[in-house]
Amino acid sequence: MNGKGKLTPMQLDLLRELGNIGAGNATSALSVMLQDRKLEMVVPEVAVLSLPETTALIGGPEALVAGIYIVISGDVDGHMAFMMPIESAAELVQSILGVETVEFDEMARSVLEEVGNIVVTSYLNALAEMTNLVLLPSVPGLAIDMAGAIWSSILAGAEIYDEYLTVLKTDFSSEGKQIEGHIMLVPGKAGFDQFFKILLETDR
Amino acid sequence: MAEIFVNMGEIKVSAGDDVLITVGLGSCVGVALYDPESKVGGMAHVFLAASKDRADSEPGKFADTAIPALLEAVVRAGGKRSQLVAKIAGGANLFPKLTQASLNVGLQNVAAVKKHLALHKVPLRGEDVGGNSGRKMLLYVQKGKVMVQSIGSELREI
Repeated sequence: MNGKGKLTPMQLDLLRELGNIGAGNATSALSVMLQDRKLEMVVPEVAVLSLPETTALIGGPEALVAGIYIVISGDVDGHMAFMMPIESAAELVQSILGVETVEFDEMARSVLEEVGNIVVTSYLNALAEMTNLVLLPSVPGLAIDMAGAIWSSILAGAEIYDEYLTVLKTDFSSEGKQIEGHIMLVPGKAGFDQFFKILLETDR
Repeated sequence: MAEIFVNMGEIKVSAGDDVLITVGLGSCVGVALYDPESKVGGMAHVFLAASKDRADSEPGKFADTAIPALLEAVVRAGGKRSQLVAKIAGGANLFPKLTQASLNVGLQNVAAVKKHLALHKVPLRGEDVGGNSGRKMLLYVQKGKVMVQSIGSELREI
């Protein structure tokens, strides 16, 4: 389950390692897209947090962000979000389209969806390769809205209502291009147990 | 005037010169309940429609437990049961592309909140629900005024 303090040190290590591999791959995909060698990721964290704490991670409930959401199905269920402050989303679209200013029109939105799609699928591909799990991403959904509205909608849709949830998160930022963002992975209702169960079976 | 923030799943009440605020309502529904005579108000930020077997969870998270808990809290703070009125906001669908019609959490939340208000005979006096944008909701307790705002639009009274 998602409860607090239920993870053993070994499980935490395993999740951290998964986070590292996934986020490393996602960050390099993004740096290629942006042709930005200065894009760096902060070492991924496994955090057990309350709902308000997870919202604070992405700038607080009222912060305007672009959030790309992808549902994972296959061997395990999960939910991935790629969230950027609105200024970073604008900078990202500008840099990809080679334009000076951005209106979040159809074109800009489809760029963001595609970038989110590539980032998340890069993350998932690395996880799948490492674990031999089948991880299938849905089509990407994009919302430009308050961080709290986006995050709570994702959790409600996933029926994740625990006091505390386990989140795998990675922050990245670039000095060259004022871009920062967060990649969040939360397991489905079954929690990370599903991951551990399958991983322990396939590893031995 | 103090600002009192209502987080997801919480219930807060006031009988003072306060404004109850909930931000980041996506598929969640904000419920403002107040007694215009005694100027007591409360707010809930409802996350899902039904508590089912989730008895250990906070009552404010689910419509079926949040409405009675909110009623009780407002009455305890001095509101008169027969004078209470409600206004609601939220229940949006931020990811329409990913949502099958039958799984629209926002609409389910709105329907459940309305149902439980009706079951407890609280008249619904205003609403701003549905759509694809998140909302912020404010209840000015002394005026009994409820304001709603979405990203990129003006604050409006409901």
